[in-house]
Amino acid sequence: MKLEDIARELGLAELTPEVSGNVEAEIERGYASDLLSDVLANAPEGGVLVTLQVHLNVIAVASHAELAAVIFAGSRRPDDDVRAKAIAEGISLYVSPADTFDIVGRLYAMGVKGNHA
Amino acid sequence: MEHLAYDIQSGDFGGAGAASRDLKQHLKRIGAESDAVRRAMIAAYEAEMNVVIHTEGGRLEATVSDGQLDVDVIDRGPGIPDVPQAMREGFSTASSEARALGFGAGMGLPNIERNSDRLRVTSAVGDGTRVSFSIMLRPEAADQGARPSSLGIAAELCRDCRHCLVACPTAAVRVREAQPSVLYHLCIDCTCCIAACDPGALTLLDAPDGLTPGADAVLAVPPALLAGFGDHAVGTVLEELRALGFAAVVPVQPYEDELRRGVLELAATTALPAPVISPVCPAVVSLIEVKFPSLVPHLAPLASPWEALQRDLGERDVTYVVSCPSQRTALLAQQPTAQRHTVTPRLVRAAVLPRLAARRRAAHGTPEPRPQAAGAGEGDLLVVTGVSHVLAVLEQIEDGRLGDVAGVEPFICDGGCFGAPLLGEDACVAAWRWAAAAGAAPGEGRSFERARPYRPRPGIRLDPDMAVAIHKLAALDAETQALPGKDCGVCGAPTCAALAEDIVMERAARALCPYVTPEEGSAS
Repeated sequence: MKLEDIARELGLAELTPEVSGNVEAEIERGYASDLLSDVLANAPEGGVLVTLQVHLNVIAVASHAELAAVIFAGSRRPDDDVRAKAIAEGISLYVSPADTFDIVGRLYAMGVKGNHA
Repeated sequence: MEHLAYDIQSGDFGGAGAASRDLKQHLKRIGAESDAVRRAMIAAYEAEMNVVIHTEGGRLEATVSDGQLDVDVIDRGPGIPDVPQAMREGFSTASSEARALGFGAGMGLPNIERNSDRLRVTSAVGDGTRVSFSIMLRPEAADQGARPSSLGIAAELCRDCRHCLVACPTAAVRVREAQPSVLYHLCIDCTCCIAACDPGALTLLDAPDGLTPGADAVLAVPPALLAGFGDHAVGTVLEELRALGFAAVVPVQPYEDELRRGVLELAATTALPAPVISPVCPAVVSLIEVKFPSLVPHLAPLASPWEALQRDLGERDVTYVVSCPSQRTALLAQQPTAQRHTVTPRLVRAAVLPRLAARRRAAHGTPEPRPQAAGAGEGDLLVVTGVSHVLAVLEQIEDGRLGDVAGVEPFICDGGCFGAPLLGEDACVAAWRWAAAAGAAPGEGRSFERARPYRPRPGIRLDPDMAVAIHKLAALDAETQALPGKDCGVCGAPTCAALAEDIVMERAARALCPYVTPEEGSAS
């Protein structure tokens, strides 16, 4: 499923319209965690991360793990420097009022699976 | 070779990740395989974050050569009081600030360990911590074809017991659909999987044409082969080996002695980092290359005994009887044509055993001077260590095949009591230190007669009544035949034969076996 379709169906607010290359990307895998070591070790390349963490290190980890996008749950919004860093790294950021559980459930229903499904 | 260095500031959560990101770019530029790059990045990032979260700052230094990446992350304190505890997953001393940012879950060091090929953490409280790890960068694909291996696979003999999987020290063996296969880039050509493989599906490759003696041919043999024919004297074995059609039989022992001398000479200088490691065993050399790359400089730059023998006699027609895959691989690496002349001990034994037996029969009237049990001097005791060796020797004594031995000193632990697993130091290291400290703890001992006599225990008897026992033995054989022979352990017994005994002794039902169909199971 394309990132832009996911964003539309989930009603996500896009924070990084400057990152244009990603919206066409096919997202097949996802990961949800607030522990960055866990994200680093286990998040699937090219996937989407759902997290509550909104600080700069999320972008560092997402970049290291080569993630396509990060969805911030519970209406948590990152600062501008985080946004700028994501744009520089080519990572799309979205925010959703829904909580992690509901976001992941809806992603799964749309066909975005975890590492072992 | 490329050297990179980065400063890491304490508490700089914003800037963290710069060193590992830059390192990743470097690795990508040199074309390292992507899995290694990913692992290197994870390990480096975790190490970097550890410095940010826990320390007063430090440095990350990386050396990239074509074969591997070595990373040292050194900080200025406060040091880790208990390194093993810090290595445990879930253990963390991170501040609440770090935890709020999603760090401090106690995954850092375990994550580094999982993603590196070698990890060493040293720490001194008040001083600082050094985290060193290495990652092999050789691209998998290029390595596989390039490295010869001498491990033979006879897939049809595989019983799917999977003992080889746990036996392999580099996790190089896979068994899929009852077919063993080997990841050759990890294989060190040792004998662990061969020893674990009862049915012989994993074995040492043999010469395609078998033994090919010639008028001027030399047979090069390990000492263990000459001493491996029960109570047939070594001299007799040598004679019969020559009688197979070899002009000379050359033991490799003198080359081992020369190598030992050479290693000792090197160890007395400062040419190499201490301790100097002897390359006597090519499998250990490979193990160091695969799993302990930082120790490569410790290896004495000398040929292994087999390689030396080959260099010495290479002009002649030499047949090599090698005792393990690593020796064969080493010989082939020096001279690919040696493949035709490298044979297994099994082949040679099969050729010479009938000759030795015939000789003994012929000498029936006038007995061959058999080696007599030597005097009871200390040096004449046969020292046996390790449970598998002890079992083998006890079998031999029971079968009357150990007539040339006057006394046996058996130890159940590998390396004798030095090797007891509760002691905390490796058996070889402790024994060496003890020998080096000879006389440091003087004392006198005495011997006494036992207070309590030895008494046999009825442990393995199937029944006190011998007639019933015979009946049970037949039932046991039938049960064993009916079970799959996979020794999988799912039933709770270690082997199929053990479950068969449990069934016959009415300790278990056949239905416990996951491979037995319900109908078969209820029939028992």
